Amino acid sequence: MSISVSEALRPARKPALIGVVAVVGIFVGVWINDTYFSDRTPVQPIEFSHRVHASDNEIPCQYCHIYASRSPSAGVPSVAKCMGCHTAVADARERPEVLKLAGYWDRQEPIPWVKVHDVPDFVHFTHKRHVLAGVQCQECHGPVQDMDRITRIAPMTMPWCVDCHTEREVENGRDCWTCHK
Amino acid sequence: MRSEVDMSNVLDKLREYSKPGYYDEFDYHWTMTIDLDRCTGCEACVVACQAENNLPIVGEERYAEAREIKWIRIERYWEGEFPDVKLNFIPMLCQHCDEAPCETACPVFATYHNQDGLNTQIYNRCIGTRTCAVYCPYEVRYFNWFTYTWDEPLEQQLNPDVSVREKGVMEKCTFCIQRIRMAKDNAKDDGRRRVRDGEVVPACVQSCPTEAMSFGDSNDPDSKVSQVMNSPRGYKVLEELNTVPSVIYLKKVHDDV
Repeated sequence: MSISVSEALRPARKPALIGVVAVVGIFVGVWINDTYFSDRTPVQPIEFSHRVHASDNEIPCQYCHIYASRSPSAGVPSVAKCMGCHTAVADARERPEVLKLAGYWDRQEPIPWVKVHDVPDFVHFTHKRHVLAGVQCQECHGPVQDMDRITRIAPMTMPWCVDCHTEREVENGRDCWTCHK
Repeated sequence: MRSEVDMSNVLDKLREYSKPGYYDEFDYHWTMTIDLDRCTGCEACVVACQAENNLPIVGEERYAEAREIKWIRIERYWEGEFPDVKLNFIPMLCQHCDEAPCETACPVFATYHNQDGLNTQIYNRCIGTRTCAVYCPYEVRYFNWFTYTWDEPLEQQLNPDVSVREKGVMEKCTFCIQRIRMAKDNAKDDGRRRVRDGEVVPACVQSCPTEAMSFGDSNDPDSKVSQVMNSPRGYKVLEELNTVPSVIYLKKVHDDV
């Protein structure tokens, strides 16, 4: 009397099926979480569009982010900086998003922008060194000029930093204390 | 049948791997000299270090448990019998040994020797086995037994260039590596590759009222520290352990000798 392999595996079928469904479910769940619920594309207090400013109107990055080449922080422009242009631009007080900006200006409040690109407190990062070394903004921040709402493209993780330092052969670029503090 | 093992190759490998940090030559070799003849034991360096490097005030109880954290401390040595006693001070800080025993001990390579001859500690990587503190003959490694907090508004005075350490992490003197990094940064802005002598001043050296300490690159023969360290009074603490410290003390001279 003989017994087939499929017959022998019959008791294991149900657990195996459950296992496969669970694994697929985990992957789908992670994907859904990553796509729809991640903090990579937070909703900002004003629907500011980099596409309109940087691409359509061709404003250079460092016109607004003025500290990028001389400070650790690139700098978020002040409301005054925004209003400097928007009082002069013809349709300044017509569009709803610009009206929001004008509201902040009238109340003399800073705009509570949500930070998209952040590194932990134990990381020493300076925009200055990177900008002066000729790294383009888009290499880390992605095609910002094509984004309406800013999305974080880069993973901002240590291997991501180290890979670039290795590729470009940065002097002492792989020493821990170059970036850690 | 196995061929004979080439022992010379093995020894070469052993020598290579047992060298902390894998550097034969250092880019800079940061060195400190401390003139004990000038040290008055005022502890200004201790306070300066505390302010610069976000060291916690552990409090009386923790201090009694010998869990204080001071990257530099003033050790007192009494000489002679009462009433004919003399008091000697030795500021003791991480010696940044070129053959550091602590570096060989760390299971996760949280402490290592970098290209500037600094014995460095990566807080994120540290898992708190405290082996390094056991191996350190100078007892200058400090363990965070607790997460210390700063009451408002004292947290505003924390140095943003130095991370605030948490519970379970070993820490020690870094020769104010954030200032070294800043000096290198400024040098790059000026289009220089090298930092000039005197541009890097750690907090303790800066605060010393009698200028007993000096700090610089001993690879540069013209630097102040290179000249001071060749003094006939110069010695290294526990030199016989072959740790090759980067801190050179200048002996105190007694007038009655």
